[in-house]
Order: sequence, then structure tokens, then C-alpha cells
Amino acid sequence: MGLTLERPARAPGPRAVPRPSRGSGRGSRARWVWTWAYSGVLSVLLTVAVLLGYLLTGLASGTVDWPALLTSATWNPGNLAFGGLAMIYGSAVVCVLALVLAVPAGWAAAVALSEYLPPRLAKPLRLSVELLAAVPSIVYGLIGIMVIRPFVAGLGGVPGGDSLLAAGIVLAVMIMPTIVAVSVDALAAVPGRYREAAYALGLTRREVVRSAVLPQARPGMRAGVLLGLARALGEAIAVFMVVGRADGRLPRSAGELLDSLPRPGQTLTTKLAGPEPMLAGTSGPYFAALCGLGVILLALVAAATVWGTRGGGARTPRPPRLRRSSAWLRVPKDRAATAVRLGALLLPGALLAGMLGILLVRGGAALNPVFWFSPSEGAAGGGIRDQILGTLLLLATTAVIALPLGYGAGVVIGTHASARTARVLETLTVAIGGTPTILLGLAGYVLLCTTMGWGRSWLAGAVVLVPVVVPVIALTTAGRIRGMPPETTEAALALGLTRAQYVRSVVVPYTWPATLTGLLLGLARAAGETAPLIFTATVFFGAPAFPTGVVNAPVQALPTHIFTLSQDSGAPEAIAQAWGSALVLVLITAGLLTLAVLLRNRFEGARRWTT
Amino acid sequence: MDDVTPGPVPEDPAGGGSVIAVRGLQILDGAKRLVGPVSFELAAGSTTGLCGPSGAGKSTVLRALVDLLPHGLRRQGEIDVLGRPVRYGKGDAALRSTVVLVPQTPVVFGGSVLENALFGLRHLMRAPKAELRDRAERALREAGLWDEVATRLDTPAQTLSNGQRQRLCLARALALEPAALLLDEPTSALDERSRDTVEESVAALRGNRTVLLVSHDPAQVERLCDRTVRIDLPKPSEPAPAGV
Repeated sequence: MGLTLERPARAPGPRAVPRPSRGSGRGSRARWVWTWAYSGVLSVLLTVAVLLGYLLTGLASGTVDWPALLTSATWNPGNLAFGGLAMIYGSAVVCVLALVLAVPAGWAAAVALSEYLPPRLAKPLRLSVELLAAVPSIVYGLIGIMVIRPFVAGLGGVPGGDSLLAAGIVLAVMIMPTIVAVSVDALAAVPGRYREAAYALGLTRREVVRSAVLPQARPGMRAGVLLGLARALGEAIAVFMVVGRADGRLPRSAGELLDSLPRPGQTLTTKLAGPEPMLAGTSGPYFAALCGLGVILLALVAAATVWGTRGGGARTPRPPRLRRSSAWLRVPKDRAATAVRLGALLLPGALLAGMLGILLVRGGAALNPVFWFSPSEGAAGGGIRDQILGTLLLLATTAVIALPLGYGAGVVIGTHASARTARVLETLTVAIGGTPTILLGLAGYVLLCTTMGWGRSWLAGAVVLVPVVVPVIALTTAGRIRGMPPETTEAALALGLTRAQYVRSVVVPYTWPATLTGLLLGLARAAGETAPLIFTATVFFGAPAFPTGVVNAPVQALPTHIFTLSQDSGAPEAIAQAWGSALVLVLITAGLLTLAVLLRNRFEGARRWTT
Repeated sequence: MDDVTPGPVPEDPAGGGSVIAVRGLQILDGAKRLVGPVSFELAAGSTTGLCGPSGAGKSTVLRALVDLLPHGLRRQGEIDVLGRPVRYGKGDAALRSTVVLVPQTPVVFGGSVLENALFGLRHLMRAPKAELRDRAERALREAGLWDEVATRLDTPAQTLSNGQRQRLCLARALALEPAALLLDEPTSALDERSRDTVEESVAALRGNRTVLLVSHDPAQVERLCDRTVRIDLPKPSEPAPAGV
């Protein structure tokens, strides 16, 4: 509360002390606030419209045989046979594998982090987990190629190791930090008095966690899993790199199912990230079938995202079951639970150490300043100056577009008088945030690059990244507005401020740190996005560092650079380049994230932001 | 006070009548002394008031007794429970089911009134359901809540009023048959009418249970307690003698 009173003085622009309005009547001076806020909402609605428009016009451009798409496993564009079942199966298998591997360990680690470790240890670990959650998926994909693929090859006796199992492991590694981070937030949100009351009754730590803490935190922890599931379902690039992309593999028995795991497969996202959307043109049955796959994917992801967000809401906690326990087993049980949970912490710890180790050892090239400041010579070597500049250009442009839009949307969601409108808007925003970026890329490709005739253009890339950033800004801002002390609002309105004046003089000064945090977090996510840029904005070689004009003006960017190099994984120079670029990309992401965390710690208490 | 409530008077321990004996208890935050040194004894069956100005660390003393100090605070001094010195850090769960703290704000867990009344007990003993229910009924009677909840033991405890919740917390602690109860300002979060009902319940424990009652209200201590322990804000220069 003390912070609340101090902050307006630090805020730029108008102070929070409302001044009587001069000039032509009350409110006229702040009406621009609404124009700006609603343009933010409009951008969210526009994104939904473009996405659906892309998919629906695609569907309408050729007849889609839905039953075949959902039940047949044969995908043969030459014969116009479009069956998507093998891909649906692939997506399901990699997601189930990822959840089975990541959820139990992730939950146990979260409990250990929140309930067992002293704050002095837990704080830095929690921060590291949040950093891990923001590592770009392309880096996970690279690790998948270099580490997990050989491991699976040895395990399954299948040469190469490209397989559903490898994809599942990569996804598990990728979503575990998300699950841990969201679960820790949920656990931290349980008020300490519940723990104290339970401890005061003589319960052991295990019993306190099970009976007093988990019943309250469970909805939030479940939401973390669904967010992880949405990420896993929508992930294109990391899976693309290790899944093998073999069409038509569908097991017919349980034995074949097990046998299919260490073999190549195909998922919905990898089909869409492959070359086929380029080959299919922008109309006809082939394109329509691909759009059909997109619709299936979008529906699955949206269901997981929206369900996850709902689950985190104020549902009454499930009562603890009336169990009778054997008194003499209490202490051993408690010790065992402690050991298991602290042991589970080793997984994220090992992940962090392993990831840093691999990056530092393999990406040693990046530690040489020459690598940062000299231009690339393709796969043969050289530096990555132009890739860094291209990434920064994309991020800066995205930031300029997304900041006002996301802030506007956040203000409307946070202050809208009607709870129902706010909820609908929030759900839409969450859904956009969870949309597979591959779909954003394809929609952007068709709308900007083809229909509007921009060709490959840096601006198209930046615009496609905007929907990645806007939801993060909007949701952080809206959350901050909801956290405002109600007295502030009441006091401002009691002084006769209009809603617009209230937003300008009270809400904006109060929320801008949260908004900046959201911007940095969103940019950290956008920095690692690969899938939407491949089609719309980047080339591997030969683009100038700063393009002139918009039409046919591609750039080079770090994530797509890594992606292209990793496809060429035979040449040692290319591999060294890829790892070096990965390290640079991780450093950029970590830099943005560290700024965000510093800002958050400076201005707010702990706040949930990892999604 | 008529002996209408069931529940045993804790038998006289070897240590000569005191259930808890505290000698020279200090609570430190790093090098800074927050509380003490404090010394007092709780005689079996007595109600002792612990009072002092706000900020003197009354609640902190209670938490130090059951090893629930906030992170970073240290305890110094000797504490005997039932005549034996407590070795903190070992079997604290067992200590906390012997000396039970009832926090200031009533905390009601999800689940029914009955489940809440048995929240601690069901972990401690393995008994048939009927016996557990009897124990709950006895505790609820002792806390003076039985008449109000007898017909709705299975309704969610969240539906109770604030005063009822506080007495439910009291019942939950009584169900463990503790050697001593530590009540942390049980009435400060309540309105006047609820305060009276809770005070009645606490008064009914007098003579049957060993109670340490923290209160900032001298009148309340006067009404409810046999004797009073005062603690004052610590003076860094001189060791503040504390006691009766």
C-alpha cells in the first residue's frame, strides 16, 4: 500500500492527484483514452477475425472431406487423399508422453520449491525455473537433435532416433518449467494462515501439504498443466526437428502402438510447418485440407487454453477426504515424501545445469566478440551480426506496435464495467495468447505476403509477432488493474472524475510498470518464435542488415538461422554456428526477462506471469 | 466452575504442577532482540493471561513455544513441556499436538463442520468412524458450539459465522486432548456479540484445561484468567526482567 502511494510521483506524465478539468467541459480532455483503449480491443478482435477468416476462406475454397480428414490415415496430395488421423494420433501421443513425463515431476518439484526449501534457496531456484520456461523452443529443438535423438536411437534400436518418443521427451523438457512455475505460483497464493493452522494441530509437513495446501492450490496447478498442454499441442518447431515427419503411421493394435513410439511420425503442427502450405497455394482442395488441419489444431489448443484459464478461477476447493491414517507410519511417510519431493527438484535443477552446460560448451563460439560483430558466411561460418540486428529490428517494430494495443486492451479488460464483456474479452485474449504461432504465421503469410503482395517482408514478420506480445501485455495490465486497492478507485470517482479521467490519472500511473513487464515478457517470447517468421519475413542468407522499404524486404533472424542450420546437421561448422546462435538467442531472451523480473520486483509483489 | 465438560484434567507431571515452564526465553532476529527474556510457568488447569503492548511479541512467544516462528527468527532459552525439556527440531509434529496453538484469525478448511472438527485428530489416531464422531462431539460441546451445529455437521464449515468459526477452531484443538492450549487473541477479529460467545467458551475451559491466553485487553484478562504474565517492549540497553 505504501508503494501505491509513492508510485504516482514516480510515474511520468500526469500525477495521480486529479486536477479539475479546464476548458470545454468535463471529460473532454481525456476522451482520447477510450479511442486508444478500444483500438487495443479492436486489435484483439481483428486477430481473431483474421485467423478465423484465413481458416474459413481456406475451407470454403475447396470442399473438405471432414469424415476422411478425421478418420483416414492416408495423406496423399497427388491422389487428393487427405486423411489426418495419423497426425491427430501423433499430436495426441507426443502430448500424452510429454504430460506423463513432465507433470508428476513438475508438481513434486513445485511442492518442494514452495513448501520445503527455505526462501533463501527457493527464490533463486524459482527465478531459474522461470528463465527456463522462457527459453525459446528452437533451443529445445536443437537439444533434441543433439542429445535426445541419439538417446532414443540407442534406446529403441531405430537408427537416427527421429521419433514420436523423442518429440515427447523434448516437449516434456520444454513444458516442465511452465508447469513448475505456474504450480509454484498457485501454491504461493495459498495464504500462510492455512499452513499455520494445520501445523498448529500437530500435522506433519506431508499432512499439511496434502490436507491444507493442495486442496486450495489444485485448481491453479491443474491450470498450469493445461497451459503446458496447450504449449505442447501448439509447438511446431521443436517437434518438427525431431519427430521424423513420416506420414501415414497409424498403429492398429496395442503392440503396434508401443512399437510406434520409437519410430518417426507426424503431428498436426509439423505438417503445417513443413513445405506443404507453400506448395498448396491459396485455394483448392489441398489448401482446404490443410486449413481443416489448422481448424482441428486450433480447436484443441483453444479448448485446453480456455479450460485451463477457467480452472484457475475461484472454484471452491475440494474438501480433504476424511482419511484415517496409521499413527506409527506418520513419521516415515513424512520422511519419504520429503525425500521424493526434494529429489524431484533435481530434475529441473539438472535441466538447468545441463542446458547451460551444453550451451556453453557447444556454443563457445558465441563468447568471442568477433562472432557477434561479423557478418555471416552461410553455413560455412562467420559471425551472426546481421541475424542479431534482424532479430532486434523485428522485436523493436513489434514492441512499437504491440505496446499501445496491448495496453489499451488491458485497460478495457481491467476497467470494463460489465464483468461479462470483460470476461469474454479476457477469454479471447487468452485464446490468442495460446494460439499456435504456426497458424499466425500461415495466416500472416496468406494475408500480408500473398494477398497484400508484400512478399517476404520484415514488417510482415513484426506484424505476425504482434499477437504473440499483445495478450501478455494486456493480461499483465488487466491483472494489475484488478489488484488496485478499491479505495483508490472509489476516492477518484468520488472526486468527480469521469471514467476517462480516472483511467488517465489513476490507472495509467498505477499500471505502467506492470505493462512494461508484460512487454518485456512478451518480447522474450517473441524473440524465440521461429515458425511464424519462416514463411513471412526471413531468409537464410543475403538480406541486408537493415532492409529498405517494405515489399520484398526480408531480413535474417536468429531463430530461423538456427533452424536452417540445424537441418543441415552434418557439417560441423554449421553445428557450431547453430549452437553459438542459440547461446546468443538465449542471452537476449534472458536479458529481456531479467529486466522484466527486476522491474516486477521493484514495483510489485510476486505476480503470476509465466504462461 | 462446574465440572460439566468432559475431557481430562492433565495429570500432574513430575515437574511439580507446571505443564509448560519457560525460562529466559528470548527471540532474536539476527543480532536484534525482539522479545524477552521472558520466564513463566503454566500451572495445570489454570488459565494464564499473556498481555503487553502491541509489538511486544505476545504472538511471537506463542509461536516460539510450538516452533512455528517465521523464517529468520531464532529462539533462545529453555522450555519444558510436561516436565521435560523440549528439543526443538525433533518431532515437532508431536509437540504441536501436545501444545496446540489456535491462531488469531479463524481458519476454516474446505469440507464439513465435522471434517473440520476432526482435521487434526484424524491424522493422529486410527479409530472407527463412530469413535471419531464421539470425539468431535465432545470437543464441540466443550467449545460451546455443539448446540448450534448438532443438526448440520455435514454442511460446509464455510457457512458458519465468524464467532462460530473461532469456536470451531477451538473445538478442533480440543479434539486433540492437548496438554495445553495457546489462544492467540481469540476475540480480536470478532464483533462484540461473537466475542461474548467465544469468551464464554474460554471461560468454560477454566479449571479443566491449561490455557495460555494472549490478549491486549486488560479487562478480558481480568475476566478470564487466574494470573497474568506481562511482557514489554524490549529495551536493548538493559535486560528486561519479565515474569509475573
